[in-house]
Amino acid sequence: MTEATQIHGVLDAHGEKAAELQSVYVYEAPVRLWHWINAAAIIVLATTGYFIASPLPSTPGEASSQFLMGYIRFAHFSAGYVLAVALLLRIYWAFVGNEHAKQIFYLPVWDRQWLSGVLYEAGWYAFLVKRPKKYIGHNPLGHLVMHLFMLNLAFLVVTGFALYSEGAGRDSWQYKLFGWVFAIWPNSQDVHTWHHLAMWGVVLFVIIHIYTAVREDIVSRQSLISSMISGERVFRDEADK
Amino acid sequence: MAAIETFYDVIRRQGVTRRSFTKFCSLTAASLGLGQTAATQMAQALETKPRIPVIWMHGLECTCCSESFIRSAHPLAKDVVLSMISLDYDDTIMAAAGHQAEAILEETKEKYKGKYILAVEGNPPLNEGGMFCIDGGKPFVEKLKWMAEDAMAIIAWGACASWGCVQAAKPNPTQATPIDKVIKDKPIIKVPGCPPIAEVMTGVVTYVTTFGRLPELDRQGRPKMFYSQRIHDKCYRRPHFDAGQFVEEWDDEAARKGHCLYKMGCKGPTTYNACSTVRWNGGVSFPIQSGHGCIGCSEEDFWDKGSFYDRLTKINQFGIEHNADEVGLAAAAVVGGAVAVHAGVTAVKRITTKHEG
Amino acid sequence: MGIQTPNGFNLDNSGKRIVVDPVTRIEGHLRVEVNVDKNNVIRNAVSTGTMWRGIEVILKGRDPRDAWAFTQRICGVCTGTHALTSVRAVENALNISIPENANSIRNMMQLALQVHDHLVHFYHLHALDWVDVVSALSADPKATSALAQSISDWPLSSPGYFKDLQIRLRKFVESGQLGPFKNGYWGHAAYKLPPEANLMAVAHYLEALDFQKEIVKVQTIFGGKNPHPNWLVGGVPCAINVDGNGAVGAINMERLNLVTSIIQQSIEFVEKVYVPDVLAIGSFYKDWLYGGGLSGKNVMAYGDIPEHANDFSPGNLGLPRGVILNGNLKEIFPVDHTDPEQIQEFVTHSWYKYPDETKGLHPWDGVTEPNYKLGPNAKGTPTNIQELDEAGKYSWIKAPRWRGNAVEVGPLARYIVGYAQGKAEFKEPTDEFLKKLGVPVTALFSTLGRTAARALEAQWAVRKMEHFQNKLIANIKAGDSSTANIDKWNPQAWPKEAKGFGFTEAPRGALAHWIKVKDGKIENYQCVVPTTWNGSPRDPKGNIGAFEASLMDTPLADPQKPLEILRTIHSFDPCLACSTHVMSEDGQEMTQVKVR
Repeated sequence: MTEATQIHGVLDAHGEKAAELQSVYVYEAPVRLWHWINAAAIIVLATTGYFIASPLPSTPGEASSQFLMGYIRFAHFSAGYVLAVALLLRIYWAFVGNEHAKQIFYLPVWDRQWLSGVLYEAGWYAFLVKRPKKYIGHNPLGHLVMHLFMLNLAFLVVTGFALYSEGAGRDSWQYKLFGWVFAIWPNSQDVHTWHHLAMWGVVLFVIIHIYTAVREDIVSRQSLISSMISGERVFRDEADK
Repeated sequence: MAAIETFYDVIRRQGVTRRSFTKFCSLTAASLGLGQTAATQMAQALETKPRIPVIWMHGLECTCCSESFIRSAHPLAKDVVLSMISLDYDDTIMAAAGHQAEAILEETKEKYKGKYILAVEGNPPLNEGGMFCIDGGKPFVEKLKWMAEDAMAIIAWGACASWGCVQAAKPNPTQATPIDKVIKDKPIIKVPGCPPIAEVMTGVVTYVTTFGRLPELDRQGRPKMFYSQRIHDKCYRRPHFDAGQFVEEWDDEAARKGHCLYKMGCKGPTTYNACSTVRWNGGVSFPIQSGHGCIGCSEEDFWDKGSFYDRLTKINQFGIEHNADEVGLAAAAVVGGAVAVHAGVTAVKRITTKHEG
Repeated sequence: MGIQTPNGFNLDNSGKRIVVDPVTRIEGHLRVEVNVDKNNVIRNAVSTGTMWRGIEVILKGRDPRDAWAFTQRICGVCTGTHALTSVRAVENALNISIPENANSIRNMMQLALQVHDHLVHFYHLHALDWVDVVSALSADPKATSALAQSISDWPLSSPGYFKDLQIRLRKFVESGQLGPFKNGYWGHAAYKLPPEANLMAVAHYLEALDFQKEIVKVQTIFGGKNPHPNWLVGGVPCAINVDGNGAVGAINMERLNLVTSIIQQSIEFVEKVYVPDVLAIGSFYKDWLYGGGLSGKNVMAYGDIPEHANDFSPGNLGLPRGVILNGNLKEIFPVDHTDPEQIQEFVTHSWYKYPDETKGLHPWDGVTEPNYKLGPNAKGTPTNIQELDEAGKYSWIKAPRWRGNAVEVGPLARYIVGYAQGKAEFKEPTDEFLKKLGVPVTALFSTLGRTAARALEAQWAVRKMEHFQNKLIANIKAGDSSTANIDKWNPQAWPKEAKGFGFTEAPRGALAHWIKVKDGKIENYQCVVPTTWNGSPRDPKGNIGAFEASLMDTPLADPQKPLEILRTIHSFDPCLACSTHVMSEDGQEMTQVKVR
């Protein structure tokens, strides 16, 4: 989030100089692990979710020897649990991890510098600004999108568990924790619809996320893709000069 | 006035033995999913309590709830009316009319203040000063509020009273309003369905008369005993759902074998009701058993979720009807297209700036 | 001082005004006001539909394949009949044909409704106009038994049976909690039955209450539930699988046997209880032949129960079709639902607005804009009506007319048309019934005639059910198990624009829906239902409707207890939820007045 200086080196949130470094350790191992677990879970969830709503062609034979829909739903629920537990651990890591681990869970809307950063980055994407600023964590616009994505994910988890509670029953902890969703939408058909729409929100995010990651990697000369593997943010133009 | 007779007195003098009376209680308790203790309690209640006065009012409705009520096989509607409750006012079946009928309302309100049950079928329209439903020359909503004042509790029969039902479907021209939006200070038991199952209706009434308390309600105000599970959870075609065996079109091979109607738009997975267990008309069948998907008639606003034959709910927010996949795909296409254009522009810019540099 | 109406009634509103509101034991909300002269004879009658739900407004823009579910909710008493009319209208518009089995099943569902509705109407909505429950307490059970056995061999007729029932009834009355029998007009001079007949009728009131729930199981088997079974555009949703793998998941031998059993029980109940009761009760009231109203003048029937699928020509319909005007039974006019000159609706005296209220509109071009206002001479306020002014607007029901004529519809209308056509299946039972009562054919044009026609029709219907059950089985035996035609299930197979109509004979009379489909959605939907015809207010020419006409010239024994009004109005089996829901091209423009 902290703006990197234009010449030589970048600053972190505390204003400490990092000028001599060409790379910064941003994403700690749990964050990276979480990212890739999330990616895998989302692929499974989106695919199985799609086939729950629009099932595959019917299976032949007797019902007792088939469990296709059951397996699809099982995969969906399992991946959902993985995603939910990972999200909880990730939130825990926001407290104990480094500075950057907290970033996506809040928006510094009170920070004028951040707000102008959002506009600046928007300008960069609209080709109005010639050079992007450099950030160790997410740039302000990316920060905003990441935060929205976290909200979307939380919404999916909450509505997902609410829907799961329909099968788990009124005595289940899922219903006790998430049954309030049905006070907002008494007809659970609406909850299905919102859950489904939110999944498409994730798809949109994934498209933008991958595109910008690749693009930034190339254009703004700061590593993004490899960062999520190594944890290191590398500023390539420093090396160029 | 003669002494008020209890249910037990009534059936004893009908020649019912003590033994069959106890058996009746056990069976009723069992049909409600309750144990022997409850049966004893029920027996005691029936022996000592006079019949509870019930005022059954009709707003904007189609009378399907009344029709359903008289279909009850256990107990028989006849026995409910003659022996379990005192149905002092119900415009559909009562002998009295006009002034004589209106007089009963005043009398009940005064004589049984705080002791009668108000059963409401249908709902009040609020547009046109409430005069889309006129009763005794006045808006129905007035009569409803007036009778609700002194009621012990209110039963909201069916989807109309509970949720609004068909007349409240978009654009709801009469502004038909569920009764809990009009009456705020009384306990309301919602018994949704269009109509509710007969035995569910009599089950709710007899629960109140026997236990002398209102049934436990869920978050939406429905009795848990009948509305805590989805049709889907207890559907006999569920194995075909899990197996992934669906009716793909009407009257196909799968339809003739009784496979799952999920793809035909069955709303069983989102509908809370007792159809798949209690079933209809004395347990003869229920919609899925007879080959048609559930249309979700006990759910809020089930009329406005798109066609009954759509799997995915229609979303009308943007003026055009689409489902979540169509909206999502369109958005993904727009974003994907934008990304492609953006990538192109980026590439061009990059080449041109390189040249400059 | 009176006004002569074009349809031959002399109205005089100078006498005392009597208001009955609510009229109970009907479906929905109805108000009746009459003026009586000094001899307490009705000289002016005003009937008012007092509810409006706007279902056709709601239907606009929806999927035509869903319309049956919406229209079915117009009425839960005649449940299914609107749905059937709706799927027929959609099939007519989109040119969809249905399999033969679907036709048989639909007919059985419709006939089951017919039988159920007539039975419940007679015993639970109408009987208390003829039967004095309190008088039954003084009956002699032995004599009651003798009476019951003299009219039928129905087994529940022993002296002990009637005695037990009488005891139950006595205790019930003595409990002081009279429930639905509270404040009835008991002991009224217009009750003519001896105590024994009253006791027998009360017994059958309760038996019929138990039995009615059996008949509807035909709808439950094929449609999944009742009230409000499920239907399907293109056929019926229930598949047939008699002896294949997985037959327990469809209509199989067990299901067919259940249908057969219900039909057999229904035949027995109708023939041994219902019809004999109507005869027995009728024999005590054959001097009370009021309430004919329009029945002796103008009647109309659309016809129904097609023998073969997809053929709605009069020759293929089990129930008769045609219009009779001015009591001339020799000439029967054909009905054309598509002719803009035939069926038209007027709103001069209805709470709706037309650009030109002197003209009527055909349902395909119908307009409805609510316009609630009372006439200048109404008493009370708009939200507290004391007396209506029939010179102004006074009902939520529109006034449909056939070539400008107010007509009566319903079982009596069907029987009159069938009788006039000389069809043996209608003429013979009618003649026999009249002979047993010892009254001339003109006695049909009365309250009693309406009640009798309903009973005869129930008997006809229950036999017809048996016929279609046999036909269904024969067809399956011949190797045809098809129940749905899905060629045009997908909206892509539909024309861009289409219009159609569907009709049935509902228990209460001629029912039709008109639909316009555009781009796969409902563009306009109109229902003109039996109670709209019967309960219609005056039209611009001053013709009064069937309810109003039927009340004319009836003497009231006690104006404070207008039992005779109830009796005659009930003989139509009014269904107000049905009658009052017409719609508009621009129906969205509703008045938005909120209370408090």
